[in-house]
Amino acid sequence: MSHLTTPAVVMGNGTGLTKLGFAGNDSPSFIFPTVIATRQASASGSGRPPPPSKPSFMTGAGGISSAGGHLSQKRGTEDLDFFIGDEALSAASGPGYGLNYPIRHGQIENWDHMERFWENSIFKYLRCEPEDHYFLLTEPPLNPPENRELTAEIMFESFNCAGLYIAVQAVLALAASWTSSKVQDRSLTGTVIDSGDGVTHVIPVAEGYVIASAIKNIPIAGRDITYFVQSLLRDRNEPDSSLRTAEKIKEEFCYVCPDIVKEFNRFDREPERFQKYLVDQGLDKKVSVDVGYERFLAPEIFFNPEIASSDFLTPLPEVVDTVIQTSPIDVRRGLYKNIVLSGGSTMFRDFGRRLQRDIKHLVDARIHRSEELSGARSGGVDVQVISHKKQRNAVWFGGSLLAQTAEFRSYCHTKQDYDEYGPGIVRNFSLFNVP
Amino acid sequence: MLLLQYHNLLIQSILTERFSPNSQPVSIDQVISDFDNVTYHISTPESKTKILISLSIKCFNDLKKYGVEELLQREYGPYIVSAPEVGYDFSMVVDLEKLPPELDAKEALIEKIALLKRNALAAPFEKAFAQYDELAAEAAKSSLDLSVPEDSGADVMPIHYRDEESIFIKASHDRVTVIFSTVFREETDRVFGKVFLQEFVDARRRAIQNAPQVLYSHKEPPLEIRSVPGLKASDDIGYVTFVLFPRHITKDRRENCISHIQIFRDYFHYHIKCSKAYMHSRMRFRVAEFLKVLNRAKPEVAEKERKTASGRRFGAR
Amino acid sequence: MSQSLRPYLDCVRSSLTAAICLENFSSQVVERHNRPEVEAQTSPELLLNPLTISRNENEKVLIEPSINSIRISIKIKQADEIERLLVHKFTRFLTGRAEAFMILRRKPVKDYDISFLITNFHTEQMLKHKLVDFIIQFMEEVDKEISEMKLFLNARARFVAEAFLTNV
Repeated sequence: MSHLTTPAVVMGNGTGLTKLGFAGNDSPSFIFPTVIATRQASASGSGRPPPPSKPSFMTGAGGISSAGGHLSQKRGTEDLDFFIGDEALSAASGPGYGLNYPIRHGQIENWDHMERFWENSIFKYLRCEPEDHYFLLTEPPLNPPENRELTAEIMFESFNCAGLYIAVQAVLALAASWTSSKVQDRSLTGTVIDSGDGVTHVIPVAEGYVIASAIKNIPIAGRDITYFVQSLLRDRNEPDSSLRTAEKIKEEFCYVCPDIVKEFNRFDREPERFQKYLVDQGLDKKVSVDVGYERFLAPEIFFNPEIASSDFLTPLPEVVDTVIQTSPIDVRRGLYKNIVLSGGSTMFRDFGRRLQRDIKHLVDARIHRSEELSGARSGGVDVQVISHKKQRNAVWFGGSLLAQTAEFRSYCHTKQDYDEYGPGIVRNFSLFNVP
Repeated sequence: MLLLQYHNLLIQSILTERFSPNSQPVSIDQVISDFDNVTYHISTPESKTKILISLSIKCFNDLKKYGVEELLQREYGPYIVSAPEVGYDFSMVVDLEKLPPELDAKEALIEKIALLKRNALAAPFEKAFAQYDELAAEAAKSSLDLSVPEDSGADVMPIHYRDEESIFIKASHDRVTVIFSTVFREETDRVFGKVFLQEFVDARRRAIQNAPQVLYSHKEPPLEIRSVPGLKASDDIGYVTFVLFPRHITKDRRENCISHIQIFRDYFHYHIKCSKAYMHSRMRFRVAEFLKVLNRAKPEVAEKERKTASGRRFGAR
Repeated sequence: MSQSLRPYLDCVRSSLTAAICLENFSSQVVERHNRPEVEAQTSPELLLNPLTISRNENEKVLIEPSINSIRISIKIKQADEIERLLVHKFTRFLTGRAEAFMILRRKPVKDYDISFLITNFHTEQMLKHKLVDFIIQFMEEVDKEISEMKLFLNARARFVAEAFLTNV
């Protein structure tokens, strides 16, 4: 069969960004927002698109009455008239199109839009005939199995894709960490800290299975850091305090410090730590923005949330510790030993080191207490936070890594399986054997 | 999106980014696929400024017979690498330091590279058009009887571009015939495909008089290619014939014609899939409607106010 | 609406109204079980005479009543290969979502395209005449939907073919 030689397609559809590419590559080929721009109902603008039950070739069947109608409207081809990703954003800035976000909170909400989003991803961007390729899709933890079935229905019935594997994002992030030199045994046990734009998840995984009851979400992520930087800029009356500038400063200058008080002192002693950022405002206008304490203060909100938020006050290391403590006792050691970072908001310099130190403190304090109470000696617990080069697109990269293995195809459900057993088949996927 | 693009978007975007003057050279290593079992590999094996682009296409051996090498030489001459990368059929190197300085020339080069697959597959088409030119000239010279039997003309050129499907091209003095064999792996596709093909056949009669003639035959290979060995006779195979008349292959329309006919199968399958997607969204809507009707059957559960014995109400929580 | 459709639907409606007359009835065979007798088929005395209402050979309804449950199976009109395929796709789409349609049977009765199973528990929770309304409306709309989909397919095929050929 032809699909023995074609690379598998790896698609990671997230709330904010979609990452598309082929297995074996070390970075996704396309990264664009998960957004679709569809034609809006005439001039009403914000109105909902007409229900598909009434294609306009039916309503316009009078023909003569709707003589002004565009050709494509009479034929009922609105469903081809849409854009996705960056093109959608530019189309929506003009008239006639409205934006839709088919994924909310990691889960697919609008299947009509998602189906068309995939249609365009495959045929326009990836340019592959789905019949010839295997597909690896990612899903958030706690995705209901019904959603898997609906996904399979689309992938197999609409697109006839040759084979499908749906992997949990956290598990892929674990697999991605295998590239780090710190990882000796390639196990699928570990704690994944996945921090994107909207939300940060702490997910314990034991031997490839997510421990659903222990998952915790933190409402602090990339966007909050950006807002925090912006508010600091505004407080100082900087000439440019747009969100874009704040984001750039966050990405280029921010890092995690070991101790805030000492860092403040160091800034006072070494003025070269204050930097300047040149903002190009277009039309040859350039302004310079000072970059000061926000360099280390911004990522600090993970560790001391009270400096930015008033409703969520638990520091990230404490959350991680709680998550591991609520997991079954026999896997806790493994979870402490393998804490894996994933997502753009974990990219700050020394983020991993600080996290490791803080968790280690918590753990040591607990062990110390229990030693005092029981009088017995403890062997101690190994805490290790792993950061690696592929962190930004860790989930996608993990998918690419697994999908290029020789065994990948045998773990997929094929079109034949689907036809034989129905959509329920995708409720279970066998886990990758750890090589 | 109604029509598929001819070029590979990913190659285009990678190169556009690399070619822009203020970009830092980075290493690239990407495997990219395209329709019809085409795989590209873009990499920077030697240095970050030398981009190696390799193409692997299933029917390269077929294409070789029809002069693909000359064609690629013509298109990409200065960039070609004599020994293609292992596992690939054709390789070329673009050196970022030796790019043409003009913006237009750069864009033209990007465009050309993005059309690599299209150009490779164009070889048999160009050959057929050349044969047609010859035959037409010959026919005009000897003022041949115009009603010559079909089997005159050049040999059929088969291109086995997919595992089960092939393209056959045959030139004669007054037309060029392109035949696609199509196989459907799935029942739904087969039925949808039939409806679509019927409309392709009818389109010329009904709306567009100067379109190429399209014929469809199920199971039975058309006359032109009966002689080709190795034709599989099975129930699910069909043959779509495009008859290109001289007006479609005038010199200035040829390039467009080649691109367009090539993409036929992908276009056709793309739209079958789009139709299925549309049906799905209709059915989802219908299911939601049915559920609404069914839920009407449930009597509204009136919120009964619950009171304690002393007549106090429960507070809302 | 065509001449014969109205009486056909009226007939189905009145037959259903009469047939949905269910009571709670525990199994006579297995202690402490309560199951739809029309499915169990273990005690002939609890089953009533099944009834077929047919408009023509392609469209008919089978009503199988019993003491605590009733099974309604519908054969949807399928004139050609395309309609057969569309009906198949549509019914499969529906049965895939049977969980949401409380009364939908996951598998149709043999020779029919889609089946509903209404038990006394359903009639206790839901209004009987509205249930009948649902079945009737379902029958009306399914036909409409199938023919609209077929129309769409043809229109789309024509559009796609013309778009391709005008560009050659």
